[in-house]
Amino acid sequence: MQQQLSNYGIKKPRVIFFWVFVLSIVTAALISKIQIDTDPENMLPVKQIDRQFHNQIKSQFNLHDMIVVGAVNRATEGVYNQKSLQALLKLTDQIGHVDGVIDYDLMSLSSVDNIKQSGPGSIQFEWLMKQAPTSDADIESLAESVDRLPLLKNTLVSSDHKATSIYVPIADKNQSYRISTEIQTIIDSLDSEDEYHITGLPVAEDTFGYQMFVQMGVSAPLAGLMIFVLLWYFFRNFKFIAAPMIVAMVTVIVIMGTMIGMGFTVHIMSSMIAIFLMPIAVVDSIHIMSEFVEKYHVDSDREAVVKTVVANLFKPMLFTSVTSAVGFFSLMLTPIPPVQIFGAFVGSGILLAFVLTILFIPAYLMSLKKESLDSLQRLHHSKSKLSGFVKGMSQFSLKHNKFVIVIFVAVFIISIWGVLQIKINDNPIRWFKTDHPIRVADKVLNDHFAGTYDAYLVLEAETDSIEKSFYSQLNDSGQEIQRQIKNIKAQQTSFEQQLNELLFWTEDKLFDATDQLAIELSQLIKLIEHKQNQLAVFKSPNSLDYVTQLQVALGQSGLVGKSNSLADIVKTVNRELAGGGDQAFVLPKTKAGVAQTLLQYQSSHRPQDLWHFVTKSYTSTVVWVQLKSGDNQDMSAVVDHMNDYISHNPPASGISINWAGKTFLNKVWQEEMVAGMGKSLVSAFIVVFLMMVFLFRSVLFGFLAMLPLTLTIVFIYGLIGWVGKDYDMPIAVLSALTLGLSVDFAIHFLQRARDIHAKNKSFELTMQTMFKEPAAAISKNAVVIAIGFTPLLFAPLLPYVTVGFFLATIMVVSALVTLLMLPAMLKLLRSLVFK
Amino acid sequence: MNKLLGILTLLTTIEIVDASQIETIIDQANLASFYAGNDGRSDARMMIVDAKGNKQLRQFVILRKDLEEGADQNFLVVFNRPSDVKGTVFMVHKKIKNEDDRWLYLPALDLEKRISSSDNRTSFVGSDFFYEDVSGRNPSIDNHTLVKQDDDLYYIKSTAKTPSEVEFSYYTMQINRQNYLPMLIEYYNQSDELYRRVEVLEVIEVQGYPTVMKSKVSNLKTGGYTLLEFRQPAYDLGMDEAVFGLRSLRNPPKKWLARQKKAKQ
Repeated sequence: MQQQLSNYGIKKPRVIFFWVFVLSIVTAALISKIQIDTDPENMLPVKQIDRQFHNQIKSQFNLHDMIVVGAVNRATEGVYNQKSLQALLKLTDQIGHVDGVIDYDLMSLSSVDNIKQSGPGSIQFEWLMKQAPTSDADIESLAESVDRLPLLKNTLVSSDHKATSIYVPIADKNQSYRISTEIQTIIDSLDSEDEYHITGLPVAEDTFGYQMFVQMGVSAPLAGLMIFVLLWYFFRNFKFIAAPMIVAMVTVIVIMGTMIGMGFTVHIMSSMIAIFLMPIAVVDSIHIMSEFVEKYHVDSDREAVVKTVVANLFKPMLFTSVTSAVGFFSLMLTPIPPVQIFGAFVGSGILLAFVLTILFIPAYLMSLKKESLDSLQRLHHSKSKLSGFVKGMSQFSLKHNKFVIVIFVAVFIISIWGVLQIKINDNPIRWFKTDHPIRVADKVLNDHFAGTYDAYLVLEAETDSIEKSFYSQLNDSGQEIQRQIKNIKAQQTSFEQQLNELLFWTEDKLFDATDQLAIELSQLIKLIEHKQNQLAVFKSPNSLDYVTQLQVALGQSGLVGKSNSLADIVKTVNRELAGGGDQAFVLPKTKAGVAQTLLQYQSSHRPQDLWHFVTKSYTSTVVWVQLKSGDNQDMSAVVDHMNDYISHNPPASGISINWAGKTFLNKVWQEEMVAGMGKSLVSAFIVVFLMMVFLFRSVLFGFLAMLPLTLTIVFIYGLIGWVGKDYDMPIAVLSALTLGLSVDFAIHFLQRARDIHAKNKSFELTMQTMFKEPAAAISKNAVVIAIGFTPLLFAPLLPYVTVGFFLATIMVVSALVTLLMLPAMLKLLRSLVFK
Repeated sequence: MNKLLGILTLLTTIEIVDASQIETIIDQANLASFYAGNDGRSDARMMIVDAKGNKQLRQFVILRKDLEEGADQNFLVVFNRPSDVKGTVFMVHKKIKNEDDRWLYLPALDLEKRISSSDNRTSFVGSDFFYEDVSGRNPSIDNHTLVKQDDDLYYIKSTAKTPSEVEFSYYTMQINRQNYLPMLIEYYNQSDELYRRVEVLEVIEVQGYPTVMKSKVSNLKTGGYTLLEFRQPAYDLGMDEAVFGLRSLRNPPKKWLARQKKAKQ
């Protein structure tokens, strides 16, 4: 089959060129449909249970994504000075007008209400800061008011009074970058010496997306350029090296075009596809070309040389391509859609690159003019510096093979230890470098405030039994009522809504009802009210007291800066109603007391605020948890701490407690990914091992082929553990693909060694031959891929830097391990290996 | 044709640019909306609906007595639903020259409290109505201009004399020429966007007074709205001023809270 393929390329180069061209043009056109997606929520499938719950809670409680704007004044009186407050007022007002901002839910000193004592026996509800105060006394009383309001203290003004914040709710998180840019423009126009910061997960994520887009345009072409320069260094022939470049470009265009054309969004992972494919796609070409250069002479039959070269390399190339592809395809086993897409398309890209290489490179070599190849004569790879180094290395390894093996075993053990130290952690804010404004803002604001990372602890009461008993109690009511119940049930609204509807209807009906019906209707009203009261679990002082206990427990976790709840609201209003004394900061004794307190709270400028904390039926409530850190491990610790607390202090029966919020979701997908990556690594390992056994028809060879990559992976992850680098998304993805890439070297090495040994039957001679052309090609490939990834090191986004650094390291390490370890092992096992 | 209409509109506008006439319209509207009869009572039912269609119910009886036509008057609002706020009472002594006096009684806390508020544009018990929509906004604190009129309606545009006290930039009213009830009031913000609408949905005549039976306030920002329905309205009942005394907070006047015998319509 291989002969047919490459012969076709040799015989009909123009047909090949034409179709490659057409394919590139068509898929390139599709790239224009590109859609960027930076939402980490999409790391989880849409139907994932935690994600669904999160979005249900968001919608139920009208919880919007928030941008946090902070102003810091380091003077003694902090932000409580006329100028700062004036600027805050102006900033708040203008932010309210920015398109996409939900102005009525915006939280700032100038947009919230105050409740306070106003003379004896009198309370006052008013805007906290409608105008910026001018006198010192007014400023002082503002500061006092804020410190008395638990919902605002340390959220809107830091407890050290040095910082104030604006919580900007936005309708669409994908607009965060634009909105934050507009806010920055407003800030720049302010007359203020305060230091302003903008942060919040939505901004981090959307800004990341914007920069990712820029990176795609920069890194991939840079990688291409690096590879081009390297190839030129190796081959010194422009026309000759154009071939692998064309293969790489076509591969990238076709894969990206197909992916975008199929409607997939470009997520952080898929944005790296081009950078991954570029170096991998040239690898096969380099093998062909290196061998071609070795074998080609001015007077040789070019067609025959090309055929021999392709025949020699077809099997190892096919296997290396398939194993690399398997490494990437194994990513499809993770439950993370963007990682699946990444794996699928890079895997397909590798196979495409192989097919293109087999078809296109022979066709291209045949169509080159004779003169174009003349310069190749002067090249001799086996004489390059790199080859000299490789040769020296192999001699060392052969001479001291036992020592080399002992060293590797030692490295392996130390690495395992390192692997055990690995900390699993991620935080989208940390995707930026430490000096990025978002990182700076994150640090400064979390130093001052209770925390800018949100999570929600959701308490829900079970309602099914109340619903059942209600309808069963109405089973023998009159026909008219029965009919109405049927109508209302047919609307398929929630039980709370059904009760409301029925109450409305009953009241209207009662208006001119007489006799029996009137009695029945009055009883129905009583029953409805009774059920409504039963549903309103979170109007009960006991339930609210439990919420308070949960808040105390949250505080004791040590990682929660502050939590806000319905209980805080009730206590605050109750305190002011009762004269403002601290001893009155308690819950009312009855449900009706809570209800009446809240009726007052709602008589404000922002009645809708209440519904961020409780549903209208009072069956579910939300505790807004402010964390100082968005690290997954911190969120995990809080979740574990609370699970422990709740298991010792369970809620009343029928109440369930769950988490929602962006910070929590990030933790969820991180955990899923770690588990998923483990699965994909193990399965890729097994598949590749079986393929090796099949390729070499030998379990021993299969084992040998797996050795270098096993050592490489363990070494790399050991290094991550030792260095203390968090195991985050990019690191996790590396594992499976390391496997696919680094097995390539072993395949080439073992396959060639076997072929050569079959001819000369001498281990020493085989090794000598091995360290000429084959070892040169391996080391050249390692260098090309490693250097090809280096442009990533200059990316402003840390995941790119991480991937770049580790891929380069992986290539070099696995090439070194292959060239050092395999000769040593082969020598040790030669009687078994070469029978 | 358009030109002709334009000229006609201009003519009609010119015809009524008389300041005293605008004042008369506004005063009549104020009287029609808030001063029907010397006193009155009505059952009221509020349905607060959010953007997602979730409903909340408030039910109360509202009593009113005018002290001076078009000027000071007293209100008493007694809640009976939801059942857990039953017996909650609001009392307002509305004053034209000074700030209103407001009291509150919360039965579950057995708490009587005076509320001092300079701001009447806060939510009335969590609904989209403001206190001011219930008790009336003093017309003299706004500047009014008659924009146009047709056979049925006067079109008024009003701005606050002290803009810092209100959230609107201006509001427009469509006042019925027959009964002087403002049928539609629309509030615009500083960016000239309509964000709030007050509509009269149903009017009937009660004892000779055109009476709003159903009205609706929409918050165009949140997408929520509140429907307010009145039932059993009755006027000129001869309520004593003592009905609006502090005693009524703890002991609301049962006599007036109950539905009145069919008054002559």
